Amino acid sequence: MRNKKMLFLLLSICCFALPAMAQAGGTVTSSVTANWTVAAACIAMAIASGLCGLGQGRATASAAEALARNPAAGAGIRFALILGLALIESLALYTLVIIFAKVK
Amino acid sequence: MPEQLWITALLNHWFAGLANSVLRMLCIHPQYPQAPINNTFAMELLVFALLILFFVLVRASLSVDRPGALQHIVEGAEGFIDNQSDEIIGHGSRGFTPFLMALGLFILLNNLIGLVPGFESPTASPSVTLGCAVLAWVYYQAHGFRHHGIAYLKHFAGPVWWLAPLMIPIEIISHLARMMSLTIRLFANMFAGDMVTLVFFSLVPIGIPVLFLAMHLGVSLLQTYIFVLMTTIYLSGAVAEEH
Repeated sequence: MRNKKMLFLLLSICCFALPAMAQAGGTVTSSVTANWTVAAACIAMAIASGLCGLGQGRATASAAEALARNPAAGAGIRFALILGLALIESLALYTLVIIFAKVK
Repeated sequence: MPEQLWITALLNHWFAGLANSVLRMLCIHPQYPQAPINNTFAMELLVFALLILFFVLVRASLSVDRPGALQHIVEGAEGFIDNQSDEIIGHGSRGFTPFLMALGLFILLNNLIGLVPGFESPTASPSVTLGCAVLAWVYYQAHGFRHHGIAYLKHFAGPVWWLAPLMIPIEIISHLARMMSLTIRLFANMFAGDMVTLVFFSLVPIGIPVLFLAMHLGVSLLQTYIFVLMTTIYLSGAVAEEH
């Protein structure tokens, strides 16, 4: 129940920010409507970075726990950790590339 | 007239005519005929020249009895890639080491040269990373065909024959996606590093951007390692023996 409250609070805060886009006046839209491209780009990047952070946190936590249980396997654990972190990072970077390709 | 680095201006001053003739033979018309060589290509040529110089110096100073510092460094790097490909690929991995070393050194020097003032990383341009990714992809597919013959295509069919109509499109798309992921991972890391350094430079010109240059150093090394590691993993998938 508390999680739902936090979710709705976050979404309503996002809605407060959108009128700020109206002053930017994008090249495609009129000066009254908001620049939805920029708004969508910001929300997409935020979601991508947040989920990437969650994923990398889980990977690091598992690696730290495995290392604590079995310090002799450090090399293999470190290898799996670095590989996993880089692959998860690249998912957030795909979002950034799309933003740079599509947002003028 | 586009904005040129000093090395691009130098190369255009000397070789603009030659570059224009070569481009005209390929039916490509450069946007600025007085500057046909762009920054990325000029930097790549510089990295190429530096690497050739490095290899020549190493070769000239090789010695069995009294190895010098350069020999130790190169043997260390080669041993690292050898051990890693042996762990991942297993038997027969020795033949891949020259390609992986060359690819790794090329990408590493491309990434690191962006830290030097007056130069920019060629890998911050998607065309360079696409070239490296296509090269790695063609290399592992070619070795897959060389190792298995035409039976390499059975790898795309999945574990059981009746799943093949479903598995073949999925496998083809996943193999093509490997090229895309290699390209975008390296490009986005280098490009985003540059962008973020510029953003913080516009906010706080003194001190803080140095932290991002340090991050660029770490990210360069890590992304080179990841690129070579992913190529090694794809190679192991291509030349794997079914037990």
